[in-house]
Amino acid sequence: MAASQSYGPRPWTFYVLAALFALFVVFLYGPMIAVLVLSFQGPSASLVFPLREPSLLWFDELFNPRRVGDVVGAFNRSLPLAVMVMVLTVLISVTAGFAFRRRFKGSTAIFYMAIASLIVPGLVLSIGTLVTFRYLGLPAAWYSSALGSHLSWALPFGLLIMFAVLGRLDPSYEEAAHDLGATKWQTVKEVVVPIVFPGMIAVALFGFTLSYDEFPRSWLTVGSKNTLPLEIWTMTTNVTSPALYALGTVTTVISFIVIVAALSSIAVIQRKRSGRT
Amino acid sequence: MNSIENPGDIRLVNLTKKFGASYAVENINLTIPHGSYCCLLGPSGCGKTTILRMIAGHETPTSGEIHIGGEMMVGKPPVERGTAMMFQSYALFPHLSILDNVAFYLKMRGVGKDERRQKAEEMLRRVQLISLKDRMPAQLSGGQQQRVALARSLITNPKVLLLDEPLSALDEFLRLKMRGELKSLQNELGITFVHVTHTQPEAIALANMVVVMDTGRIDQADTASIIFNRPKTPYVARFMGGQNVLTGTVEGSKAGRIRLKDARGAIFEAAAGDSTPAPGSPMSFAVRRDRIKLRKSGKGKAAANEIAGVVEATEYQGSYVKVTVDLGGGVFVANLPDGDYFADPVDKGDGVIASWNTADVNILTIVDTGAAGDPYVNAGH
Repeated sequence: MAASQSYGPRPWTFYVLAALFALFVVFLYGPMIAVLVLSFQGPSASLVFPLREPSLLWFDELFNPRRVGDVVGAFNRSLPLAVMVMVLTVLISVTAGFAFRRRFKGSTAIFYMAIASLIVPGLVLSIGTLVTFRYLGLPAAWYSSALGSHLSWALPFGLLIMFAVLGRLDPSYEEAAHDLGATKWQTVKEVVVPIVFPGMIAVALFGFTLSYDEFPRSWLTVGSKNTLPLEIWTMTTNVTSPALYALGTVTTVISFIVIVAALSSIAVIQRKRSGRT
Repeated sequence: MNSIENPGDIRLVNLTKKFGASYAVENINLTIPHGSYCCLLGPSGCGKTTILRMIAGHETPTSGEIHIGGEMMVGKPPVERGTAMMFQSYALFPHLSILDNVAFYLKMRGVGKDERRQKAEEMLRRVQLISLKDRMPAQLSGGQQQRVALARSLITNPKVLLLDEPLSALDEFLRLKMRGELKSLQNELGITFVHVTHTQPEAIALANMVVVMDTGRIDQADTASIIFNRPKTPYVARFMGGQNVLTGTVEGSKAGRIRLKDARGAIFEAAAGDSTPAPGSPMSFAVRRDRIKLRKSGKGKAAANEIAGVVEATEYQGSYVKVTVDLGGGVFVANLPDGDYFADPVDKGDGVIASWNTADVNILTIVDTGAAGDPYVNAGH
């Protein structure tokens, strides 16, 4: 659009920026594509290019483990953990967002306290959580200590998103609902939640993905059984087969599916509202 | 309380709203009779919207009373007040179709789906939007959105319709069209409309009661023609526009006429009202711009109700020419009919004498404190 209006050749800065962007894309997707391709490695079990006799051997290895660790078990912990973090992040962020809409005493202090957990190093938080659980005599487990430390990471993001979403919500929607006889609860259910629903999906997406691939905050908090990122890390140290790549491919695909599902549902809602059905 | 009041009567008693330490609305007393079209008029920040929101129940007064139809309403939710509010942004729910927006009130009351849709369709038919019932608000033009907002408010069967700057989001053409529609709708429904605006022509065209506000207080509440022709205060005169405000010192009065003299030595005469002001006291008055005659100076000396100055600017306005005259400290405006102006045109730099009839002098109840801090002193209309 803009290019058609400009005259003469592009300035040299265009080529510099284009080259930079190309490099960025290569660094971003290159490794992912390399892992994806190598996960189809044949029985030669070579960890490097070239790809010989492409097969699904290592995917099979993943789900019917002989040599690799407990990938399926790790997935069966990571997925419910991510779902729990997602649900709690949405619930807490949305309700907190409502509370912060009407400024209450100490709201700023609470907000900064919540945001501060973003800058605490994850490994330090992991150690701290473990030490605290030990002191309290509680066993560390993925559904308790790891859930807490994951929330310390996902919640600030959820809060920030919800603040932005609710900050843009015109208060006259709520007043109009009140004017038309809606109770407080009806206003939330029939007006506010439907309007901010795309934002809630975004919060859910963050909650899920931040937990699903979290390593530092999981490190010491999951207890005796690993979550998926920890399992992958363990495998890098003692598994030397392309099953590692196959695992990388599978987890990436799952993340990808979650992201696409979230973004497309947001797009569908927005299309419906603008009337382009 | 004691008198029998009509359902759409609004009575505000000593109404005050404070935000922190500052008054948004300060001790307001106002009665709006049932079935009137009332415009709350004033610049932004004068408290007009706060009053509307307090009547609607979206803002709680700091003190004072709000009676609608003789019933004290403070503390009651909007639905119990019999009011409906139309928001400046219309606040149509973006996730609901036009039909469901209009049916929202009925849904909240637990009316069944078929019945509420049928009633909403009837309402949409009344505002001629039935063909758009399945559209989403984002697909509608500003004028259509406004009509949907009206339909959504009217389905509550209100006694009082509250409109917050309803025309400000529309372009000039639509604004005039919707202005006419609002007026005829009010005639047809016969309920009380309270309309907040900062636009003088809008208030004058619509209202049979204009309330002019200034920083939390009511300056004057009267019919449109009284507000326009007989403003009580310098503020109202300037805000409504079309007026010149002059101040002089009372020299004396005889034969029912007060004689004033201003700092420049000009003599003014005004018809004495009920009270006779003491000689030596200052007094301000207003004269409509379109009642001024101009002649070039040199043709006779300035007499009573004449003032000399130099033309500062002329502006052609179609049916009239706006001539701004510098009085040597103070600006004076004459709106001359185009025929009169072109018969003997004056130009920038010409010395002129402005004159008017004693009958056109409107004495103000407050002495003009001058230009300082008054943004409407030189507002041209």
